[in-house]
Amino acid sequence: MSAHAEAHSNDHHGGEHPPAIYLSSRVPQTILGMLLFIGSEMMLFGAFFAALFFVRVVNEAPHWPPAGSHLPIFVAGMNTIVLVTSSFTMHWSLSSIKKNDRVGMQAGLVLTLLMGITFVVTQAREYSRIGFAPGDSAFATTFFGLTGLHGLHVIIGLLLLAAATARAFRGHFSPEHHHGLEIPGIYWHFVDVMWIIVFITVYII
Amino acid sequence: MVVADAQHHDVHQAPQHQGPSGLGWLMAPGYLRVLWTVPMMFGVGVGIMALIRWLEGWGPIWQGSIVTTLSLITIPLGFLGGIGAFDFWLRYAIGRPTEVDDHRSHGAKDWRGYFKVNTDHKVIGVQYVGTTVVFFLIGGLMAMIFRAELAQPGTQLVDTQTFNGLISVHAALMIFLFIVPVFAGLGNYVIPLMIGAPDMAFPKLNALSFWLLPMGGIMMTASFLVPGGAFATGWTSYPPLADHQPLGQVFFNMGVQWAGASSIMTALNFLVTIITMRAPGMTFWRMPLLVWANFTTSLLVVFATPFIAGAQFFVAFDRVMHTHFFDPAHGGYPIGYQHIFWFYSHPAVYIMILPGFGIISEILSVMSRKPIFGYRLMAMSLMGILVLGFSVWAHHMFVAGMAGWLRVPIMISTMLIAVPTGIKVFSWLATIWEGKIHFTTPMLFALGFLSMFLIGGLSGIYLGSVALDIHASDTYFIVAHIHYVLFGGSVFTIFAGIYYWFPKMTGRMYNERLGKLHFWLTFLAFNATFFPMHWIGLHGMPRRVADYAPEYGTWNLLISIASFALGASTLVFLYNMINSWIRGPKAGANPWNALTLEWLVSSPPPLFNFDEIPTVVGHPYEYGVKGARHAVLNGGAVHAPDEVAVH
Ligand SMILES: [Cu+2]
Repeated sequence: MSAHAEAHSNDHHGGEHPPAIYLSSRVPQTILGMLLFIGSEMMLFGAFFAALFFVRVVNEAPHWPPAGSHLPIFVAGMNTIVLVTSSFTMHWSLSSIKKNDRVGMQAGLVLTLLMGITFVVTQAREYSRIGFAPGDSAFATTFFGLTGLHGLHVIIGLLLLAAATARAFRGHFSPEHHHGLEIPGIYWHFVDVMWIIVFITVYII
Repeated sequence: MVVADAQHHDVHQAPQHQGPSGLGWLMAPGYLRVLWTVPMMFGVGVGIMALIRWLEGWGPIWQGSIVTTLSLITIPLGFLGGIGAFDFWLRYAIGRPTEVDDHRSHGAKDWRGYFKVNTDHKVIGVQYVGTTVVFFLIGGLMAMIFRAELAQPGTQLVDTQTFNGLISVHAALMIFLFIVPVFAGLGNYVIPLMIGAPDMAFPKLNALSFWLLPMGGIMMTASFLVPGGAFATGWTSYPPLADHQPLGQVFFNMGVQWAGASSIMTALNFLVTIITMRAPGMTFWRMPLLVWANFTTSLLVVFATPFIAGAQFFVAFDRVMHTHFFDPAHGGYPIGYQHIFWFYSHPAVYIMILPGFGIISEILSVMSRKPIFGYRLMAMSLMGILVLGFSVWAHHMFVAGMAGWLRVPIMISTMLIAVPTGIKVFSWLATIWEGKIHFTTPMLFALGFLSMFLIGGLSGIYLGSVALDIHASDTYFIVAHIHYVLFGGSVFTIFAGIYYWFPKMTGRMYNERLGKLHFWLTFLAFNATFFPMHWIGLHGMPRRVADYAPEYGTWNLLISIASFALGASTLVFLYNMINSWIRGPKAGANPWNALTLEWLVSSPPPLFNFDEIPTVVGHPYEYGVKGARHAVLNGGAVHAPDEVAVH
């Protein structure tokens, strides 16, 4: 602690900068914050899953999906593969910068972005061809609710990745400092894992 | 409000912003920029909506309820962008270099600093308390209006829809804009100081979370101005009723989102701050109980609040997009709303009381000059409440037609919560037992809390049992219970906390005589208002109804008169706070002779709290224990209360 005490010895209050912060945990603050935020996000998904559970299980819906509604499991399955692959390219990007491979980092980010955009576009096209609208039945409501909430999270993840990409191409990040890449990455992995759960719950079960 | 010379640690040598040149004043963050960012965001939102509706061929392109709902998102975003809450992240996102150590928006030089995006947790704490007190007054005025209506049987002042609007906005403001966030405000001010940190972990996020709050509050208050009047379905907003109400309902659905987002972000910040920024030597078992309480509360906020967000989104979707989450005619399940809503809103009662528990633990120990009784058990009972709190939500639904088998398990888990709560009450009693009690204003409010919360807790056990609950459901007995818990409980702890830390926040002492007057007026008027409600409730007077049977007339008149006295007692508080802030006598660094770290620094504290990081060497409540230390400064100065051991 003495090192911290010295850091601000010439600083009295009114000074411009705070005294050095003493950190009581080895977990980086930003990563801990992101993990807690993801916990909160999971609960938001939980509320949507609960709505599905109430409509389908508690309410004893007679047919699921109702007669005449078909879910394009094949297309959604392909989309799942795209999204899962993008998790690996994200991981590649992060491990590249740890080895000071800037090109690998940039390539990984661009690939991840492209696959994320592919996912969103595919889902939008799926929506327009699926043959039912959110207001048609409680089934349609929960379908659009869960996949829509997830789609929104993909878009948020893409925006975070876009910011990371902008910084990656402007010379930011180094083997020592890459939280700005790591944190959108954690969020992206969360979005992917969440998709697998949504896919199984909504399309398969 | 006048901040006087409080901020003597003036940042006079801070680098000034370059004076805006040309149209620069339109680009600099501030209220002028709001003038164009709000219309811009509104236009962008409506434009995107119109484009989508036109492309998809949904007509009509312009629909009032959709535009309103959308504007309740885009206009606040425009405002927040205008005042500069997003500047840092926008610069970051486009890859511009950002100064992590940019402290230009840190600290307040004068009163204007409190109306800006400010990253100093002490300024944010004051901003929070000030804003929430304003909404407390607005919510209280609404209560005055509907109590005037209820003074006599029949309807005299307001029509029934307005009456329902008044009770709904009253409840929503008191819960989402006063009790929940005022604790976030007090926590914001005190927690970093108590753990020996220079600020919160994420100061910019902290500033943003404060500014989200007034968005929700203004929205809820403004709902009176929309055609059809304010939302009128209570603060619970149950569908299908809520889907068939005038447009004001959307102002509740969306207002909750803003207040909820604010509360989640603050809770994240508290958690990361408490985990990563404790001073050396401050282990979890040496943290003050206020920090423990906010740690527990923040966990509840982070994991429960998304459920009310979801519930309100579903209701808004059902109305605006004609989905069928809760519409039984199309296969929806209306009771599902109540499950999701109460899965947040029961834990929310702990969000509204646990920080108060923390405040009371501080005050009782300091004012009794005794160590807190059963410190570890106090901390663990908080965690016990946290865990149990998630298992009892359905006790609000005993009469709702939910699954019958759920009743008894929920009743048992509800009763179980009396165990950790009982541990706390008995520990507080044991703390003041044989203490050298100082009857200061914060102590009076703390003792008032102990007795009133006990009554509220006992009627809670009563309502937790299925048979009695069915009898008392939707009567004034419920109103009495909730006000004994939230007013006699939470609000008393809030007053206690504000008086206790007033000298630290302002550097001045409040008027003790007026403080005591405020306490006794509040205490008496509170009991005269709410105690008779137990009685008329058990006799069957229904709540949330503008008119009632003539036999309840006398009681209601008395209650209304008492409620006006309760409202008037707040004026004493306001006068005392404002007057003392301007010209109260200077308070020293440690007027209460307390041990916790916030009293180690000047009042108000320096810009970054501690000139040197203190080292924690012992427990925070060793009052009257000879030679005990909580913290030492590296310079060798030793901090101990100068008093002799008690008994
Ligand atoms: Cu409850």
